[in-house]
Amino acid sequence: MPEMSSAMRLGRSVAAAGARRGTGQGASQAAQVVSNSSLSGYMDFHFNNREHEDPVIDFHRFVLLFTHNFSDHVRFVSELELEHSLVGPEDEGELELEQAYIDFLLTRELNFRAGMLLVPVGIINERHEPPVFYGVERPFVDDVIVPSTWFDAGAGIHGEIGQGLRYRTYVMAPLDASGFTADQGIRDGRQKGAESNVRNIATTGRVEYVGLPGLWTGASFWRGKTGFAFPRIESQVTVGEVDARYRVGELEARAQYAHVWLDGMGELNRALRLATQPGANIARQIRGFYLEASYFVLPNPAPREAAVFVRYENFDTQYRMPAGFQRLQQFDRDAWVVGVSYYPDPDVVLKLDYSVVRNQSDVIDEPNSLNVGLGWWF
Amino acid sequence: MHRALTTLMLVAALGGVRSGTGAAQQREVVEMVAERFTFTPSRLEVPVGTTVEIHIRSEDTDHGFHLVNGPNVIVPKRRQGEAVVVFEAEAPGVYQFECSKLCGAGHNFMKGEIIVTGPNDNDDGAGAGNDDS
Repeated sequence: MPEMSSAMRLGRSVAAAGARRGTGQGASQAAQVVSNSSLSGYMDFHFNNREHEDPVIDFHRFVLLFTHNFSDHVRFVSELELEHSLVGPEDEGELELEQAYIDFLLTRELNFRAGMLLVPVGIINERHEPPVFYGVERPFVDDVIVPSTWFDAGAGIHGEIGQGLRYRTYVMAPLDASGFTADQGIRDGRQKGAESNVRNIATTGRVEYVGLPGLWTGASFWRGKTGFAFPRIESQVTVGEVDARYRVGELEARAQYAHVWLDGMGELNRALRLATQPGANIARQIRGFYLEASYFVLPNPAPREAAVFVRYENFDTQYRMPAGFQRLQQFDRDAWVVGVSYYPDPDVVLKLDYSVVRNQSDVIDEPNSLNVGLGWWF
Repeated sequence: MHRALTTLMLVAALGGVRSGTGAAQQREVVEMVAERFTFTPSRLEVPVGTTVEIHIRSEDTDHGFHLVNGPNVIVPKRRQGEAVVVFEAEAPGVYQFECSKLCGAGHNFMKGEIIVTGPNDNDDGAGAGNDDS
C-alpha cells in the first residue's frame, strides 16, 4: 500500500502538474483531504394545478443525507426525509428514515450491507434526486406499481463483476397485505422499518449492466409473503421489473416495465371487506410501463442549459382480478406527460410539465394537471 | 467553452520506489464518464510500464475521483470541464478508485479499478496495488 509519505509526495506532484498547466486549480484540489463525514441533500418544491381542484403549493421533499466513513471499508449512509413540510395528526406530512445502513466494503465483487435499505427495483427508487429525472412528479409507474420511495429494514450483499456487471440482493421486511388497495396496488403495504413484522422475510435483488457508455440496463425482483395480518390467508407478492436508459449525444431514452403478481387476493379481499375496507377489490396482477424521450435543446454550460421531454405511461392496478371480483375500469390508466427542465446549475432544476391522464371508465374522469417544480441537490 | 482542467499525477509505485526495469513506456488515453452512480469504464487493464491519461467528465453533478489510499480530485459538473488523471503503472497490482464526493443514494456503488499486469499474465491482480482488503 502507498504509505502516507508516498501520498504526500504524490500530492506535491499534483500541484506541480496543475501549475504547469496554468490552471491554478491543481494545488487546491490536490490539498483536499477526504473527509470522514459529509452532509448532502435534495429538495423538491412544487406547484400542482389539477383539473376540478384548487391549485396547491407544496414543499414536497426536504431530504438530508448524512454519511460517515469509519474507515475505507466500513461506512455509514443515511437519508432522512421530511415530506410535505409539516408532520402532525391532522397533516399530510411524513418524517421518514429512508436509508440508514452500514456498508462493509470487502472487495469490488462482494460487499455486505445492513440497516434501512432502498429496495433495488426500478430506475427511480435508488436514483431519485430531482435534477436526474424529468417531470415535476416522479413517473406514475414509480408511484402506483413500484411504490417509490420503497424502503425497509434488511441486509444483503452487493458488488460489481468485470466491466460494469453489478448485482445486489437483500433480505428485507415484507409488505403488509392489509394495506393493499385497488387504486394504489401494494403502495400502502410498505412497513417502512417501523417495527416491521418479519414473521416472513422478503427477498429482493437487481442485476444491471453499466459497462457501455450511455447505456444502463437492469432487471429486478422482489418476492415475499405478505399476509401476516391475516395468518390464515396465504398471501404472497412477486414483483418483476426490467428497465433501460440510453443516451447518445443530447438525446436520452428511458423505458421501464414492472409487473406484480399477488397471490391469495380473493381471500384477502373477502377478509378486508369484513375488517377495514368494505370495498376491497385488490387485483391478482397489476402492471405498468413507461417510455420517455428527452433532448437537450440548449446543450450549453449552465445557466444556459435546458431539455424537453415527453413520456407515455400505461399503468393498471386492476390488470387481472381474482375469481369473483370485477375490474374497476377507472384504475386502468394511461398518461402523456410533456415538459421542459431548465438548469441554472447542473444541480438546480426548474421544471414545467403538463400531464394528460385518461382511464377506461365511462363514468369517472381522471384530472389533467399543470405542474411547476423547483428542485436542487447539494 | 470554458473548461476547468485539473491534472493529477499518480505514480503507482510502492513507497515511491521506481522499478527501474527499463520497460518501454507506453501511453494510453482513456475517456471516462462519471454519472450517478457509475464510472464508465469502471475497469481498466494496462501492462506495467504504461502511462494512462484518464480524462473524466461528469454527466450530472460534481463527483470525486479518489485513488484509494492516494490522492483525490474533483470532477467538475456537467459541461463545466473535466479532470485529467495521469497514472503511471510502474508496479503490477489492482488499484481501486471510487467517487469521493457524496452524489446520492447510490454513492457507494460508484467504484472502479485499474489492473496493472506484469510481464507474465499470471501477475494479473497480484503484487502491489492499493486494495488492502
